Amino acid sequence: MANKSTEQAIRARGLVKTFGAVRAVAGVDLDLDAGQAVGLLGPNGAGKSTMLSMLMGLRPPNAGQVTIFGHAAGSPAARAVIGATPQSAGFPEQLTPRELLAYAAAHHATPRPSNDLAEAFGMGALMDRRMAGFSGGEVRRVALALAFVGTPRLVFLDEPTTGLDSAAQEGFRTVAHEYVRQGGAMVLTSHHWDEIEAICDRITMIDKGERVLDGGLDAIRARTRVNRLSFALPQGRTPPDWLRATQGPDGWQAETTDSDALLRRMAAENVPFQALTIRPLDLKDVIARIRKEATQ
Amino acid sequence: MIRILKSELGLTLRILFRQPGFWVPTVLFPAMLYSFFGASMASGGQGAYAMASFAVYAVVGVGFYQFGVTVAQDRENPFTVWQRTLPGNAAMPWVARVVASLIFVMVAVGLVLIAAWLIGGVTVSAPAYTRLAGACAMAAVPATLMGTALGSVASSRAAVPLANLIFLPLSYLGGLWVPPIALPSGINALSVWTPTRAMGEIAWAAMDGRAIPTRFLAVVLGWALLSGAITWLAQRRNARALFG
Repeated sequence: MANKSTEQAIRARGLVKTFGAVRAVAGVDLDLDAGQAVGLLGPNGAGKSTMLSMLMGLRPPNAGQVTIFGHAAGSPAARAVIGATPQSAGFPEQLTPRELLAYAAAHHATPRPSNDLAEAFGMGALMDRRMAGFSGGEVRRVALALAFVGTPRLVFLDEPTTGLDSAAQEGFRTVAHEYVRQGGAMVLTSHHWDEIEAICDRITMIDKGERVLDGGLDAIRARTRVNRLSFALPQGRTPPDWLRATQGPDGWQAETTDSDALLRRMAAENVPFQALTIRPLDLKDVIARIRKEATQ
Repeated sequence: MIRILKSELGLTLRILFRQPGFWVPTVLFPAMLYSFFGASMASGGQGAYAMASFAVYAVVGVGFYQFGVTVAQDRENPFTVWQRTLPGNAAMPWVARVVASLIFVMVAVGLVLIAAWLIGGVTVSAPAYTRLAGACAMAAVPATLMGTALGSVASSRAAVPLANLIFLPLSYLGGLWVPPIALPSGINALSVWTPTRAMGEIAWAAMDGRAIPTRFLAVVLGWALLSGAITWLAQRRNARALFG
């Protein structure tokens, strides 16, 4: 009965947005299923915010189309199933979090009880205080809770943990995991790579308005099975040239696709390494490498 | 629908009422000015007219300050952008604003009437009060539209000084502070084209139980249309910038 497109949380095809002569987004596709979290990445000014606002239905694209569970983005039916975090600026500071949550709840058919949200986002003591004088992290918690008020099937979280302390970040990850595990769909933008790695199973990277990378995290990692060796050398010694090692703040580093062979040769040549560690490249470095390869 | 409207109204009123520094002067100022200037006219047989003038002044003040300023502030606020992601009709926040402003108008006008009674010793018949209420309601429409036009054009920082710059001279020119007959003749020639004079003429006619002067009704209508057009154009431009 239900076809593929109505099951999809987001189906965006060929989105284009221009502001005057500037092409902020130039033909981007995005697919997201229920029970999936996608990280939307890109440098500042890459077109992420414009992309987000089209997905949320705030801006109509100049070309292309977006559907949210089969409904046009921005339509009442689409707005009924999404949740979004407001930006931290401009909160009505005369209000308490409880009043704001009740306000948002009145717009939804099946809102989550405020006390649930207070617990999930660690706002217990804040609920009945006016928001004037809230710290950045406290405002952020309220913003996160507001995204989840309407028991949404899809949430847009824009830099969700900026300003949160590490305990609150951890709490947010737990909530996010649980939400996705229970079938929720999530679009996350973040500058914290560890957060993207911890929550998302897919990433879409945008640069200069175009999608430059898209795929599952595992698949992206698999594309470059590169390990990084870190080691120290005794004072005055330098590594052999074939290793192409570079000196970083924590000693010498070398990247390789075959760490076994490299290590055997280092041992055979009696390279006097100390404190050797081998680990896969960070996601950030993997992506940097893929992008470098792509542009070469 | 009703539930959403209630929540919008609750939000709007809470935000306003918790800023007493904003609303107390707005609702108190007309009654205070009446006490200083209007009440002294009560003895010269002009009492009812002066009361009606300051009632109109209160209506226009709320329209300018409440609408002009809050529309300008909301326009630049990321939180109102987020409100647009919520399900529900986009007109609801506007309906809530209009209702909130009517409440403020009633309080501000009520205080003028009380000041007229207590300080000026002015009371009129029940039908005259009703007619005055009708004239105020009629004035509220263009006043609200003029405030909204200002708020749609001006930045939040400029809204208050601009409201002062427009509203105070208009009140004087319109003959709300001193009767038109006391205005210099050059000023009076200008006065008859101001929205405040037209609203005042309608309110004064209401005091006398005369028919609404058509000429001034047309002036009020003209200002309402002009303000509505400015609002529409400016809001369309703002929406293009924010949501285009």
